[in-house]
Amino acid sequence: MVTVKILGSGCANCKRLEEMARKAAQDAGIAAEFVKVTDTEGILAYDILSTPGLVINEKVVSAGRIPVPATIAGWLKDAAAAA
Amino acid sequence: MLNGLVEYVIRPGVGNLAAYLAAHVLLCLLPAFVIAGAMTALIPKSSITRFLGRSTPGRVSYPAAALAGSVLAVCSCTIVPLFAGIYRKGAGIGPAVTFLFFAPAANILALVYTGSVIGADLAFARFALSLAFGIGIGLIMATIFHADDAAHDRRTDSAFGAHGGERLNRGALAFMMAWVALLLAGTLKLGWLTGSHAQLSFAAGWAEPLQAGLDRLVPHDAARGEEGVTIQGVALIVLLCAIGACAWLGLERIHEGFNRWTRVTGALVAATLLVAALDLRTTPGGLSMGITGKFLAVLAALGLLRQLGRRYLSEDEVRDWLWESWRFVKQIFPLLVVGVFIVGVVRGLVRPEWVQAVAGHNTIGGNLAGVVFGVFMYFPTLVEVPIARMFLDLGMHRGPLLAYLMSDPELSLQSILMITAIMGRAKTWAYVGWVAVFSAAAGLTYGAWIDGANPVTLAAGVALFLAILAGALRMISRSHAPAAT
Repeated sequence: MVTVKILGSGCANCKRLEEMARKAAQDAGIAAEFVKVTDTEGILAYDILSTPGLVINEKVVSAGRIPVPATIAGWLKDAAAAA
Repeated sequence: MLNGLVEYVIRPGVGNLAAYLAAHVLLCLLPAFVIAGAMTALIPKSSITRFLGRSTPGRVSYPAAALAGSVLAVCSCTIVPLFAGIYRKGAGIGPAVTFLFFAPAANILALVYTGSVIGADLAFARFALSLAFGIGIGLIMATIFHADDAAHDRRTDSAFGAHGGERLNRGALAFMMAWVALLLAGTLKLGWLTGSHAQLSFAAGWAEPLQAGLDRLVPHDAARGEEGVTIQGVALIVLLCAIGACAWLGLERIHEGFNRWTRVTGALVAATLLVAALDLRTTPGGLSMGITGKFLAVLAALGLLRQLGRRYLSEDEVRDWLWESWRFVKQIFPLLVVGVFIVGVVRGLVRPEWVQAVAGHNTIGGNLAGVVFGVFMYFPTLVEVPIARMFLDLGMHRGPLLAYLMSDPELSLQSILMITAIMGRAKTWAYVGWVAVFSAAAGLTYGAWIDGANPVTLAAGVALFLAILAGALRMISRSHAPAAT
């Protein structure tokens, strides 16, 4: 089970990233739990300088940009394999 | 009823919109959106925030905070986390406030738009006075809340002030500089750039009646600051709509890969910039097209950009850049269009005498009126600029106008709520008060300069004002010092 957190206050980029991450998990057949972190305190708990942030199994994999679906799928597979 | 609607609402609104789209937006806002996108996508945040660490001395952290405000923060998505980060994990409340104050006044979109709609002098005054007063407010807040700041939560310093953060890639920097060169070539009013170096004439019987029709459709009165629509303007509006449609197809799903429409969008943007740089006039029985210095400069810049982009930017960087630029357009442009439309309608309803009576002269009352209007009204990003232009046309003095422009984007109900959540009510209201005072002071200073006061005396006055403030604050902080150290 992979835990994916989307950090961001709900701006357009955060929604797009969540949508893409969900699709990547579904396409790769990886069971993932999605958590949206929207409050400032929760976001600041991670070392990111701009939103949206993507956190997979408590590790920040990207911040301030939207990665391409293939890259997200790669991170998800790595996380699933490591677990 | 319907006639009245057309006469008083639709016609002035659409007229204003058409005039703004054709005259102001293209050669300045289009590259500005692209540069804003490039800054967001290509400048690693840590290349600047490493100067904002907890242990950085003030002479480095305040200018760094201002720099962060002008290059990193174009939308609130970036402002909120960066502000919270600087405040909580980094350099503390002073630089965080400087950042917060400076960002809306000094980002590329605001500066470029103010410069082209109102005038380069006001854009420069907005930039310079925001910088001086932004750092001033930051220092004041740091002094007043010194004890709180010393006690603010001690989290790790890793993201801020970490050593060896990512550096800005040189190719990306050259790419951004080339865009800035294009923007300057398109907007500077130098003889070499605006003059024509070659003249082409066409016989076009339709041109004259078309222009006459446009003048009837969008009647304009130059004395009231209204602008008409030319044939070139119509061509640009058509191109702009085409860009919007192609961008929707080519950029909206760019994360799934570049497609044909991505390239069409790029070609259309280049074509628009080139058409906007031409000097197209209606002559009796035809059209004349002047190849201006601007046109040649824009052409050269576009060629250079193509080379730089191919050579130095990775595919990821190009994608992020295009996406961020498009996102800014999507987020800001529709609101700007609605705002400009409404300004066109309202302009016809406000009597110049009212504006002149309240803020026609550079008085303390006039400047405060500008500030109060700025604080209580909320306009979306950039809409403050056409509104300021309307006030200027209706007879507002440039001093109170600057006071309004400084306070409006900094203070709105939305931003007050946002910063309350991060730094608490007392600090927020202190900040609001200082912004009001400083905006009025900035307006008075600039207004006095416009009225012909000696710049040296004025600079000395501003320096004295800041020195007295600093002295007073030092005394306050000294009385707090034992508690803080």
